Amino acid sequence: MNFRDLVSISTGNLWRMKLRTFLTTSGVVIAIGAFVSMLSFGAGMQENIAEEFNKLGLLNTMLVYEKSERDIEREKERKQKQQEESSKTDSTTTVTAPDTVISRPLDNEALNMLSKIPGVRLAYPYESFTVTVLLDDTTYNSSAQALPKIAYETKLFSQFSEGKALESDSSKEAVITEEFFEKLNIDSTESIIGKKIIISAKASSIDSGLIAIFVSDSFNVSERIRQIKYDSLFNRSYIESTIRTEADAALNRFIDGYMNNNIIISDTLTIAGVLKSGQGFRTRTESVLLPVKTAENFYAIGAGKNPLDMMSILQSGGELNLFNEAPKSRSFSKITLNIDQGVMHAKVADSIRALGLRAFSYTEEFQQMQKFFLYFDMGLALVGLIALFTASLGITNTMVMSIVERKREIGVLKSLGADESYIRLLFLAESGMIGTIGAFGGIILGWTISRIASFIAKSFMEREGVDPVEIFTLPLWLIAIAFALGLLVAVIAGYFPASRAAKVDAVEALRNE
Amino acid sequence: MNNRLFETKNLCRHYIRGTYTVKAVDEVSLSINKGDYTAIVGSSGSGKSTILNLLAGLDTPTSGEIYAEGNKLSDFSRRQFAQYRAKKIGMIFQSFNLIPHYTALRNVEMALYFDDTPKSERTAKAEAMLASVGLSDRLDHRPADMSGGEQQRVAVARALVKEPEVLFADEPTGNLDLENSQQIASLLKDLHDKGITVIMVTHDMSLAENSAQRIIRMHYGKIVNGETA
Repeated sequence: MNFRDLVSISTGNLWRMKLRTFLTTSGVVIAIGAFVSMLSFGAGMQENIAEEFNKLGLLNTMLVYEKSERDIEREKERKQKQQEESSKTDSTTTVTAPDTVISRPLDNEALNMLSKIPGVRLAYPYESFTVTVLLDDTTYNSSAQALPKIAYETKLFSQFSEGKALESDSSKEAVITEEFFEKLNIDSTESIIGKKIIISAKASSIDSGLIAIFVSDSFNVSERIRQIKYDSLFNRSYIESTIRTEADAALNRFIDGYMNNNIIISDTLTIAGVLKSGQGFRTRTESVLLPVKTAENFYAIGAGKNPLDMMSILQSGGELNLFNEAPKSRSFSKITLNIDQGVMHAKVADSIRALGLRAFSYTEEFQQMQKFFLYFDMGLALVGLIALFTASLGITNTMVMSIVERKREIGVLKSLGADESYIRLLFLAESGMIGTIGAFGGIILGWTISRIASFIAKSFMEREGVDPVEIFTLPLWLIAIAFALGLLVAVIAGYFPASRAAKVDAVEALRNE
Repeated sequence: MNNRLFETKNLCRHYIRGTYTVKAVDEVSLSINKGDYTAIVGSSGSGKSTILNLLAGLDTPTSGEIYAEGNKLSDFSRRQFAQYRAKKIGMIFQSFNLIPHYTALRNVEMALYFDDTPKSERTAKAEAMLASVGLSDRLDHRPADMSGGEQQRVAVARALVKEPEVLFADEPTGNLDLENSQQIASLLKDLHDKGITVIMVTHDMSLAENSAQRIIRMHYGKIVNGETA
């Protein structure tokens, strides 16, 4: 008896019970189909994100921020805990206050230090400001960002739907994003290359603030003088309160004048390229990208790139650059680092923390996401496995029924010389065949479901104006796992009945009825 | 030269049924020589079929020993028992015990699955054997399409296709009419004449007396005609 004989006999036995075999196999087909379609969704999502991370080179990107108050507090608490724990293990250690947590501003000096960390290929700051863009007599409100030329070498900024990167850091050029292009009334990206745009930014000035102290709608000198109660001038507290009131009013008039009576800075630039859509995924990219030196013209004028920014600087106790000079050291909201291939991000992150800054690594985020997807896939697989478990009960039931019906046949086979292992193998082959056919059918069903779901999802995305992406994928490993699982579950489900069949008493089975 | 094929010593096969013991075979000692045509006769429940099953290795004794060509069956492993049944023994039953969904040819072929006969020879051997029992025109017929006599002849062909040393026949004519019974009896006689050892269990005394060289009578698990080792 060889393998072919076994397969031939098993196939014949299953074929004889067509309906029962079909129903039992259907259970496996549905279970494997559910398993495959669900995991193909998980795998598709995972593949999409990995592709997106790779496409944008995010796995080589780190972001650096200043430490927030919360970060500093947390760090202090952590250090305190560490000290307490070490004092518990070593009684000779005296408990002291946690070391001062290092924190530093994210300025030019920090930028310089970050660019010198081993493994950092490139470091550039993120600076943005509100602008108006004038194109063909139409004005668009937008935001701009200064970006050094070298940043265009990274994957994050190297994918253009039209045109190219900026010539130099001081060229009179601009790059726009595809999203911004769509707002413009222009048919093709090709025709926008080389067009002139006028970029304007409002900036507040000290002069407008100072003038408003003395000349304002809400201020009348003679009125204010008339309100002073001269007979109370000898009262010290009245004098102090009057001075405080007048100073507050003057400050308010200054701020009002500073914010509302802005000056406008403009520059005429040529559009050099249109950055591909989706570049802003997980990283903020402003609509208009300017050369670093060119951009300086806009924010060198003062702190008020944006009135809201100015207010936040004032609220946080920062100093305003009130005089029309380029600041010696500007503060950035974040710095982007491009890391060399193969460099351990954790090491770079440690160096960043040692400088008193906060690091965010996309690799770490990606690892977290992979972890999440692992649990997500496990959850989906569990649902599939529950279905498969139910199907396995069907297989067991079918095989048990088969033994009852074929008891005499088992007796005959034993009288002809079949040993227990052959009988066991015969029934295992039958259940294994149900599993194999079920797994094969299940993979096809799972693939079909995923194709239909993908079609519906893509149609929905298109209707919502989102670029359709493939959210289902059927990798080879999933096919292999599904196939192996179908076979394994069927063999396990068939093992108990097969062992029972092997132990059938031949004498009992052959006894005359 | 030792001509002994089977020998049993104090062979017992007892079944526990609730609180009492059924002694199906009790202290049986006998010997059967090669080439013998032996009939074991007795009434229902006398233990004759049990002896047959014990000799064929389908059942195991409660106590006592069975020797087949001098080999102690109790020393056999399960695999050796299977090989013993596959190569040395052919069996036919009262109710034929053909596999109902197989054709006559496939039923006969099945016997060759377990005795290492190459696949290429199986069909030819099975066809030849069916022809020798006069069923060459019934190869593709299923048992349900054949008469009782034809079914028993298929069973004989199945038992003989592997060329066994001994043929066990358990009430071979029990389900057959007179004409078919005579055909089967004649077939067994022919086989014996060709040198095959035949051990037949029957309650039909005339069949036993007309066919067998030797008759062993059993009653309540014991041999009653004075047979001893």
